[in-house]
Amino acid sequence: MEKDEVLRVENLKKYFPVRKGLLQLISSREREYVHAVDDVSFSVHEGEILGFIGESGCGKTTLGRILLRLIEPSSGQICFDGIDVTSLNRKELKSLRRKMQMIFQDPHGSLNPRRVVSEIMRQTVQIHRLAEGKAEEDELIRNALEEVELKPAEEFWNRYPILLSGGQRQRVGIGRVLILQPKLVIADEPISMLDVSVRMGILELLLRLRDRFGISLIYISHDLATARCVCDRIAIMYLGKIVEIAPTEDIINNPLHPYTQALILAVPVPDPTVKLHDVPIKGYVPLTPTEVFSSCRFHPRCPYALEKCHQEEPPLIKVGHDHYVACTRATKAN
Amino acid sequence: MALLEVEHLKIYYFTRQGAVKAVDDISFTLDKDKTLGLIGESGCGKTTMVFALMRFVAPPGRIVAGKIIFEGRDILTISDKEMRRLRGPGIAMVFQSAQNALNPVMTVGKQIVEEILEHESVTKEEAWERARKQLELVGISGDRIKSYPHEFSGGMKQRVMIAIATACNPRLLILDEPVTGLDVIVQRQLLTLLSDLREELHLPIIFITHDLAVVAETCGEVAVMYAGKIVEQASTVSLYKEPAHPYSQALMKSYPSIKGKKGKLRSIPGAPPGLTNPPVGCRFHPRCPYVMDICRQEEPIFKQRDGRLVACHLIK
Repeated sequence: MEKDEVLRVENLKKYFPVRKGLLQLISSREREYVHAVDDVSFSVHEGEILGFIGESGCGKTTLGRILLRLIEPSSGQICFDGIDVTSLNRKELKSLRRKMQMIFQDPHGSLNPRRVVSEIMRQTVQIHRLAEGKAEEDELIRNALEEVELKPAEEFWNRYPILLSGGQRQRVGIGRVLILQPKLVIADEPISMLDVSVRMGILELLLRLRDRFGISLIYISHDLATARCVCDRIAIMYLGKIVEIAPTEDIINNPLHPYTQALILAVPVPDPTVKLHDVPIKGYVPLTPTEVFSSCRFHPRCPYALEKCHQEEPPLIKVGHDHYVACTRATKAN
Repeated sequence: MALLEVEHLKIYYFTRQGAVKAVDDISFTLDKDKTLGLIGESGCGKTTMVFALMRFVAPPGRIVAGKIIFEGRDILTISDKEMRRLRGPGIAMVFQSAQNALNPVMTVGKQIVEEILEHESVTKEEAWERARKQLELVGISGDRIKSYPHEFSGGMKQRVMIAIATACNPRLLILDEPVTGLDVIVQRQLLTLLSDLREELHLPIIFITHDLAVVAETCGEVAVMYAGKIVEQASTVSLYKEPAHPYSQALMKSYPSIKGKKGKLRSIPGAPPGLTNPPVGCRFHPRCPYVMDICRQEEPIFKQRDGRLVACHLIK
């Protein structure tokens, strides 16, 4: 691991077996697998926000969950803060999760509806034994609430989640994470279920946490426009693989993979004078990608597919400063 | 004559906590061959508003006051039977979640045929033939007419919904968040389809969404809704160039764009109000950066300025 790396992931794979009916089991012995995450490698630096962008089913959520070992990986290495995450036992996992936390997509489903805000947060404090005595616990909770702008803390102290708006609930979720002072936070679509007017507030909060506490973030989303606002680097995923990874403005202004180009063209622009573009790619993402790829997995939809694209899977190669692409047409840089 | 005129419409939901004023005194008109986008955050009353146009408002909701005049007739006064005849060939609607709106145990072809036979006296063969044409119109192969909804992806189900809605050549089409929850590429394909259809069929459309960018790409005119009221109505180009109402301005600033320079994020402080006891005076005043004393007391009325309608005390 390099010096300022918080997380390094190498050749991570997750194959989910496909459940079959009895008849199919008898007729064919071979099991099929969905390649949810297929040979993914990347690293996250201290205080960096790395975005994972892709359409539904590209494996971005699975990836986020594997990092926390909420899902067991099929193979590969996850090195976090000098520890090999894949080999930890249950007890060690608990201390890992103190340093690596997750913010969930659904602020309605991720808070216990039968506990008030302060109790939800107290649970986190108690599980990880962060404080001695109630007074100290209260102090920690109060600070966290004010840090996520639920001020004054007393006003929210005894409220049930149902009495909070979506944005406020998501803030409680972030506050609960913040209390642990983690090194890395995985935010899985943290704003996709919120109203447009409060989304930016949550993104601002995430940025502030990074600036104040030096927390690294993995931002998982389908929305390139909002990812652009927060991410330092963006990785584009397609069918379980990273097809392009680069600093944010490079991805937006100089996308090299045809899939990235199509994604950017497809994002609607809030300006009525801009004309509607046709997206150059055809077809759909396969619903259950079970086949084993020996070719570029994007080639059936690619407008520029060459003979070579059918024959071999292109590796992720360096094409510029910090800019990597997995495309046969890309030329290697030094 | 305008195709649709909505006058002082009020729809309340009567709950144990009191009346929720989901739509509170809304008026607008829609001319033939126009597209109107209704934008607003969740809970601002936009779906309730268009449900009233189809007369779908059910208890505890009730249309308390107002008129909805479609082609010169107030549809709130006609009989249920007449209303039923109007839905489909008159006003048709594409619902928010195509997943739930389609019948899972009926082939998509049958669902289109059902719609046609309900409203027109044609033979079954003709109806099936038209159903096949409808599917092809929305970009699905006619061979899939005997497929069930679960055999389609989300984007294709939404296409089927559009095929059903346009089967009887409606004179007004309502689309309620038609592309929400779909992936960007599928979303773009669907938006292209909708604008093609619009040009082909000269269809007036009311398009509901919370997505500013989707409205910008599809609608000629926009109405911005906030807490049960329309706060600004203008042509899309002028609204996006120079929003007049502070809420429209804030909404524009809080929307990230992938084009141009990376701007600074600006969120609107606070959250939308509950509609049981909305703020007195202007409903946006607790979140408004330009709030004045009058905003806390008096509700602003619609004022005309440069061909647009704005409800704000700042507008003289």
